[in-house]
Amino acid sequence: MAGVSAAAAAPMMRGADDDAPAQCRLAEALYYDGRREAALDLARTAFAAAGESEPVAEFCAWLFSNCGRHREAAAAYEALLQRRPGWAAGHRHASGSYAAVGDSGRALFHALEAYALRPADCGIACHATELLLRSDRLAEAAETARRTAAAHSQDEIALRLLSEAEMRLGSPERALAAIDRALSLGPDTVEYHLHRGHLLGRLDRWDEAIESFGAALALEPGNVAAQRAKLSALLDSGRVEDALAFGGALIHAAPDNEEIAQALLETLNRRLATLDGDWVVLGQRRLDRLRPPRPPAHWADGFKTQARVILALVIREARTRFAEAKLGYGWALLEPTLHILMLSLVFAVLMRGQPPIGREFFIFYYTGIIPYHMFVHTSSNLAYAISGSAALLQLPLVTTLDLVIARGLVEFVTDALVAVILLVGFSAFGLHARPHDLLGVAAALIASWLFGCGCGVVNAVVNRFVKSWDKIWVQLTRVLYFASGIFYVPAMMPDWIRGILVWNPVLQAVEWFRGSFFEGYAPHWLDRSYLAGLALLSLLLGLALERRLRPRLFEPS
Amino acid sequence: MIALEAVSKSYRTRRGRQVVLEDASANFPTGHNFGILGVNGSGKSTLIRLLAGTELPDRGVIRRDARVSFPLGFGGTFHGALSGRENVAFVARLYGADRRAAIRYVEDFAELGEYFRMPVNTYSAGMRARLAFAACLAIDFDLYLIDEVTEIGDQRFRKKCAAAFRERMQRSDIILVTHNPQTIRQYCDRGAVLAGGELQLYDDVGAALAAYRRVSGSEAA
Repeated sequence: MAGVSAAAAAPMMRGADDDAPAQCRLAEALYYDGRREAALDLARTAFAAAGESEPVAEFCAWLFSNCGRHREAAAAYEALLQRRPGWAAGHRHASGSYAAVGDSGRALFHALEAYALRPADCGIACHATELLLRSDRLAEAAETARRTAAAHSQDEIALRLLSEAEMRLGSPERALAAIDRALSLGPDTVEYHLHRGHLLGRLDRWDEAIESFGAALALEPGNVAAQRAKLSALLDSGRVEDALAFGGALIHAAPDNEEIAQALLETLNRRLATLDGDWVVLGQRRLDRLRPPRPPAHWADGFKTQARVILALVIREARTRFAEAKLGYGWALLEPTLHILMLSLVFAVLMRGQPPIGREFFIFYYTGIIPYHMFVHTSSNLAYAISGSAALLQLPLVTTLDLVIARGLVEFVTDALVAVILLVGFSAFGLHARPHDLLGVAAALIASWLFGCGCGVVNAVVNRFVKSWDKIWVQLTRVLYFASGIFYVPAMMPDWIRGILVWNPVLQAVEWFRGSFFEGYAPHWLDRSYLAGLALLSLLLGLALERRLRPRLFEPS
Repeated sequence: MIALEAVSKSYRTRRGRQVVLEDASANFPTGHNFGILGVNGSGKSTLIRLLAGTELPDRGVIRRDARVSFPLGFGGTFHGALSGRENVAFVARLYGADRRAAIRYVEDFAELGEYFRMPVNTYSAGMRARLAFAACLAIDFDLYLIDEVTEIGDQRFRKKCAAAFRERMQRSDIILVTHNPQTIRQYCDRGAVLAGGELQLYDDVGAALAAYRRVSGSEAA
């Protein structure tokens, strides 16, 4: 009947746009006839024409809401509430419409208005609580929920919301009490059992949690959420065997259920991924710390640590320095000895008896070779200090600077020891091998070493970025071998050649060494501050480069 | 505790610049075990090396007020010409630990027998791994860094490692990186997710796993 009357009325109404109540009646008829779009069109027209009329607006809000046009419904309720600000049900409806379109701010506003107008209405109070929870206003939500649950102690929903609020406020015990009351009113609600189980899990009461999940499953055996929860609880309580058994039974009952299969797969993974296939129960871990907190770092601690690191590196370096050679440390001694022996034999024949300074060829060449070796060994071996021990940088304590310092120290100790041993050896063979000025000799060696360190650090950095730099350096040291006055003295050279040679810092090191070793040898071209200054400069340059490029030196190449 | 303050780190690869951290700040407090989740290629291993201090950040500062281990089981620092014993002595000396005690511990634990006094060059891969694991446990670190849980040795030795490690976890914290969510559930009480240059910390593992699922899911799609 409604269909017939609506169809008959439609053409008649077209001309009478101003008759909004009639349009509403027609729209209602169309709605019940199932012609929603036509009904909505009419209602929109009516609302636009006579939205200020309360019956029209009320009808339109109702229709919009029932057709799922929540935004338009909310607008209609807003229009109505302009006229009837104290209409609690209107606020409640408006809130529902806003919540449906996701405008939680407006939804909450109207919910709170409604609640303020009719605080005793359980439905309105629960709605407000829910929206407060959704907006994370937990304290107010809990307050509202407590009041509602107190006033309506027989309302499950109020109790369920109270439990939620208490849980989110961080008091699972109170939440548990609330859900227990809700369960006493509605023991057949699966969701209550699930919620209770999760709460018990939080309280580490796993056996009871498993019981709760079991109760949920007894009511609805196919509930996947409950199945997963029980499986998790069995695992989390450490009952791995039970978990596997339960999971197996689930799979057996529903072999095609992908979700269950996934859950069980996770279970198995958790079991297999442990180191020994056993469960590490974090609950056993003490939360209060057994370890006393470290005292705040003292500025001296950094130095202590670095000294310790360097010492460890020096010992390791010393152990491995000649690891490949069969002679081991003997090699360090043999190399300069053979060198001096060869030079002495060759030049003894060439020069017929007299070295340029002193009386012994051995001593003269010794005074050339030792400072030269100190420089060459240090500068060349430091070049590999970083690349050769790059793996050590994987130890957080070790920095590139430590590697450089450690290797530099090893070089110094090695070469200085060799120098002393050779001198003692010469004396044993009856040669006159006492340096005239021991401190001066030591100072010359240290200056030569420092300059070697400076060049070595620069080499180490350059080596990292310039391929085959080490080969170029080897060629340079060969040139230095001839240009440093090892088997001659600069006095033997023509003035113009000597004028160039004295700029060679290694020649200066050799001359410094000889000036202190031989009494009465004091060449006027010796300039100690020149060598010392260069040593300092090269060190500064090397360390600055190292610091600046440290991040890139660290990277594995 | 390890604190990251406005740390940035990126490195170049063949496919262009790979950002690991972009102006990231985070605080790993003492007393918690963190599991850091990240998809493959997000820079988890780089992050562990940054935390360890074996790699330096491009910008920013990393502060540590605990004795932080080198990545667990890392044996690359062993010198092949030195014996296992000498290598352990070196590590102990480096960290200022009791050398004799460390050597005794490793000798008992790693089950190397005669090989303990022979050059590491002569070891099999398994023996090296056992030595590395034992050397890391021989030093009482406050915080252990673990780059994926690796399994070494046979079933019996794995049990032994797990037991030793569990005992150590009573006193020491761990930071573990992995792409396996299950590993984190076993070892950690807190989580973090590394993705797109951001490091987000979570107070519970569940939240971290949920965030990780979002990140890894969106990348897979």
